[in-house]
Amino acid sequence: MLRRYPWCLLPWDQLALWAVTIGASMVEASPPPIVGQTLNLLLRGGPDIGANGLLRFYLLHVLAVPAILFVFLGVHYYKVVIHGFSLPPQKENIGEDTAKRVPLDKRVYYIPEILTSEIMWIAVTTFVLVVLSIWFFHAPLENHADSQVTPLGTTAPWYFLWIQGALKLGDKVFWGIIFPTLIIILLMVWPYVDTQVSRRYAHRRLAITIGCLFVSIMTILSYMGLSEYGVTTSADTEVLHDAVREPAYGYIGFIRPVPFDQLVPGMYSTEQIRIEREVNPADFQLDFAAFNTEIDENGQADGIIEQLQLQYLSMTDVAFRPVPSDAPELYRALEEYYELLESERQELRNGWGAIIITETQPNLVRVDAVVLWEEVLIERGRVALDENGNAIPRFYRVSEDGTPLTDETGKPIIVDAPEPLLDASGNPVLDESGQPRMLTIPVERVNSQYIYLHRNAEYFFLPGGG
Amino acid sequence: MGFFSRLLNGQMIFERMETRILVGIVMFVATMILIGWVAINEGARMAAFDRQFAARSIERGAAMFSTYCSTCHGNDGRGIGGKAPGLNNPALFGHDFIPEVNGPRNALIAERTTLENEANDGENPPTDERRAEIDARVNEINTQIADLEQQALPFISQAQDAMVRGYDPYRPSRLANVRWGSSVFNYVYSTLVHGRPVSSGYWPDPMPNWAQQSGGPLRDDQLRDITNFILNWNRDFTIEDLVSVQQFAVEPCDPLACGGGGVETVGNDVAAIMEQFPSVTGDPNRGQALYNNSALPARGTVLGCTGCHTGGLQAPDLAGTWTRVLNERLPALPEYASGEEYLVNSIVRPNDYIVPTYTAGLMPNNFGERLSLQDLADIVVYLMSQDQ
Ligand code: HEC
Ligand code: HEC
Ligand code: HEM
Repeated sequence: MLRRYPWCLLPWDQLALWAVTIGASMVEASPPPIVGQTLNLLLRGGPDIGANGLLRFYLLHVLAVPAILFVFLGVHYYKVVIHGFSLPPQKENIGEDTAKRVPLDKRVYYIPEILTSEIMWIAVTTFVLVVLSIWFFHAPLENHADSQVTPLGTTAPWYFLWIQGALKLGDKVFWGIIFPTLIIILLMVWPYVDTQVSRRYAHRRLAITIGCLFVSIMTILSYMGLSEYGVTTSADTEVLHDAVREPAYGYIGFIRPVPFDQLVPGMYSTEQIRIEREVNPADFQLDFAAFNTEIDENGQADGIIEQLQLQYLSMTDVAFRPVPSDAPELYRALEEYYELLESERQELRNGWGAIIITETQPNLVRVDAVVLWEEVLIERGRVALDENGNAIPRFYRVSEDGTPLTDETGKPIIVDAPEPLLDASGNPVLDESGQPRMLTIPVERVNSQYIYLHRNAEYFFLPGGG
Repeated sequence: MGFFSRLLNGQMIFERMETRILVGIVMFVATMILIGWVAINEGARMAAFDRQFAARSIERGAAMFSTYCSTCHGNDGRGIGGKAPGLNNPALFGHDFIPEVNGPRNALIAERTTLENEANDGENPPTDERRAEIDARVNEINTQIADLEQQALPFISQAQDAMVRGYDPYRPSRLANVRWGSSVFNYVYSTLVHGRPVSSGYWPDPMPNWAQQSGGPLRDDQLRDITNFILNWNRDFTIEDLVSVQQFAVEPCDPLACGGGGVETVGNDVAAIMEQFPSVTGDPNRGQALYNNSALPARGTVLGCTGCHTGGLQAPDLAGTWTRVLNERLPALPEYASGEEYLVNSIVRPNDYIVPTYTAGLMPNNFGERLSLQDLADIVVYLMSQDQ
C-alpha cells in the first residue's frame, strides 16, 4: 500500500493531486503534532503540493520505493530458498514440515518447471492487459492539477478506499493513522500468531472465519469510503454535479457525451419530459408558450436570468422550446436530468431543471444546467420530515400587498407553514380567482453550473461508469 | 482434473512443459502483433488526441475567461466601452476589410515618406530639377490616395460605429500598429503574463498581470488555455463582427491630449457651469450616445461611463438615476439647489459627495476637462430621462 501511494501523484492531474492531498493530511495527523507536521512538510516540500512536491514524490517513486521493494523481494526469496515449498495441505501429514522433505519423484524444480510457468503467465497477463488497454479502458489525463478547485466527491484510489471509509467513523488520528498501522502490523505478525500445526482447511475454522470477516470489513469500509456514503452535499449541488462533472473514475457528467451537433443553442426544460411522461402521455405536448408566460409571471424567469448573470452569462429573455427532433442525445440527457430531479423530489420540492445552451464561438458552446426548486427544512444535512413523512416546505412571510417582511436585523422572515390571510371573523380572504390570499410565499431557490464544450473534445462514457 | 481443482491443489494448469512453452510463445507473438498494429495506427490516434487536447484546452480557457476576464472584456469578449478593448475583434487578428485600398495606399504612403525625406534632407539638398520632380510625384500620390479613399467610402460608412469606438480602417491591425513582430499567440500570452501596468494612464483599471511568475493567480498552462480560447475567436470576420465590438484598443497617449482639441471644455467650477447652463439645450439622444461610447466628447476618447455604471456593483446603476436624485439625494443634501446641479457636480467633481457604499476616488475626476458645455448638457438631459 505504502508502495502504491506515491505513484498516484505522478500523472499530476486533478485526481492525483487531491488523492495525495488527502493522504498527506492524514500523515499530518500522526501524533505528536511536531512529527506529523514535519513528515507532512517532508512529503510535500511546502505548505501545498506544488512542482517541488511532485519532484519529491517522483524521487520516492523511482528510488526509495524500488529500493524497499528490492529488500522485501530479497527477504522473500531468501525465505523461499531456506525453507522451500510445502506440499498442498491435504497431502502432508499433520505436523510434518514437508518442505525440503518432499520425495524426489514428487519435487517440482524451479528450473524448468516453475520458470516456464511464470514466463507463460507473464505472457498471458501481458496479452490480456494489452487487449484491455487497447479496446476497453482509456486512461485520459484529467485536467491539470489545480489546487484552487476541489472536485466534488474526491476519493482515494480504490485500494485506499477502506482508509477513507474508516476516517468517516470518527477521529482522524485513530482511524487515519493508528488503525491502518495496526492492520499492517497485524498482517505482518500473523504468521507468528497463527502457529497452528495443521494446515488443513477443516482444522483452521477460526483462522478462516477471521479471514472472511476481515475481507468483509474491508469491503464495507471501502464502500463507506465512496463519496456516495455519508457525505451530505445538498441535492441541487449533487444533481448539477452529475450533469456536468469532468470525467473521472469512469464517471462523467451526462451532458458531456452529447454529440456537438446535437447541442443546439436554445433553452430546454425538464418540464417537457414531465408533461410527456406523466401529465399527458396521449398527445405528448408541453405548451411552451404558456409555460414561458407562467415562469415570466411567477418570477422564475428573472431568477434564472439573475443566476446566470452571476455566472457571467448575459441574457435578457427566457424562452424555452422543445428539444429538436434531430437531437435524440440531448433529449436523453434531459430525461436523465429529469429522473435525477425526480429521485430528489423530497429535497427539491417542485423542482425542475433547465439546460441552456449558448454559442460562445463557432465551435464552442456553453451549457448551463439550472435547477429551480422550493426550499424545504433541512436539519443536520438531511431533509426534516413531519409526522406523515413529508418534507416541510419553507415560506417567506409577506405583507398583504406581497412585499417580503424582514426581522430587526433586516433578514427575511421564514416560516415552516403557509399562512392564509384571514378576515375579522377568521375566514380566509379569497382573491378574484377564488384562491385564498396568502401571507406567505414559497422560498424559491435556483442554482446552476456551467461548462463549455468544444466540437472536438469528444467526451465519451467509460466502461463500467455511469 | 478440472481447471479449478488444479488451482486449489496448487497444481499447474498445463501439466506438460511443452504446452506451457507453446502458450507462452503464442501469447507473446499475439502481443507483439497487437502492439505492432497499434504502432501503425499511432499517428492517426495521436492526431485525434491532439485535437481533443486542444479542444479541452479551449474549454478550460473559456471557463477561466468568464471568471477572470469578462468583467472588463465583456462576456462575449467584445470589450466594454471605456473599460477594456475587445478581443473578439477583427483588429486583434489583423483582419483587413479593404485590402484593395490599404495595400496600394500603404505603398504610396511609404513612397511619399521617402520622397519627402529626400526633399527635406538638409545635408544633401536635391537640385531644383529633382525637387520639382518630387513635388510632381507627391501631388500625383496625393490624388491617387484620395482616389483610393473614395473607394473605401462604402466600407467606412458601414464601419462608422466602430470608428467612434477607436477603429481606424486604414490601420486595421492592432499588432502592426504596436509593431509586434511575433505571432498573435505570443502577443496575447505575453500580455497575460505581464499585464499592462502602464495602461492605468489611459484606462480606468489597467490590465492586471496574471502569471504566477509575475505575482498573479494563474499557472502557465492556464494562461495557454486562455490564450487558445482567445485565438479561437479568429474567423472570417464580417462587418457585423466589426461594428459589434464595443471598444477598440487605444494607443497610449494622454486622454486629454489625443483626439478633439480646439473646443473649449467646461472645467470644474460648478457655479460657473450652472450660470451658463440655460444658454444650451441638451439633446438626450446625443447624451445617450456619449454615455454609451458611441459618440466622442470634445476632447479625448470615448468617456466610458458604462464601463462602471452597469449592474450597480461598481458604481450606481444608470436605471433610476433621476428618481434617486430627486427622492434620495436632494432631501439628504440641502447644499444642492436642483437635481441638475447635483448631476453636474457629480460628473465634474465626483469626489465632493460619495454615494454611500461606493468607493471614493474611483470615478475619474477629469471629465470637466473633456466635456464641452454642450456635451455636459446632453448627458445631464439623458440622465434626467432615467426616471423609472
Ligand atoms: C481590470 C480590467 C481587466 C481585466 C480583469 C482583464 N483585462 Fe485585459 N485589458 C484591460 C485593459 C484596460 C487593456 C488595454 C491595455 C492597453 O491598452 O495597454 C487590456 C488589454 C488586454 C489584451 C491586449 C489587447 C490589445 O489589443 O492589446 C489582452 C489580450 C487581454 N487584455 C486579455 C485579457 C485576459 C485574457 C484577461 C483575463 C485573464 C483580461 N485581459 C482581464 C483590462 C482588463
Ligand atoms: C471608473 C469608474 C467610473 C466611471 C468611468 C464613471 N463613473 Fe460615475 N460614478 C462612479 C462611482 C464609483 C460613483 C459613486 C461614488 C461617487 O459618488 O463618486 C459614481 C457616481 C456617479 C453619479 C452619481 C450617481 C448617484 O446616484 O448619485 C453620476 C451622476 C455619475 N457617476 C455619472 C457618470 C457619468 C456621466 C460618467 C461618464 C462621463 C461616469 N459617471 C463615469 C464611477 C465611475
Ligand atoms: C517497482 C517499480 C515500479 C512500480 C511498481 C511502478 C508502478 C507505477 C504505477 C502503479 C503508476 C501509476 C500509474 C497511474 O495511476 O496512472 C506509476 C506511474 C509512473 N511511474 Fe512507476 N513504477 C515503478 C518504477 C518506476 C520507475 C523506476 C520510474 C522512472 C524512472 C517510474 C516512472 C513513473 C512515471 C513517470 C509515472 C507517471 C505516469 C503517468 O501516469 O503519467 N516508475 N508507476
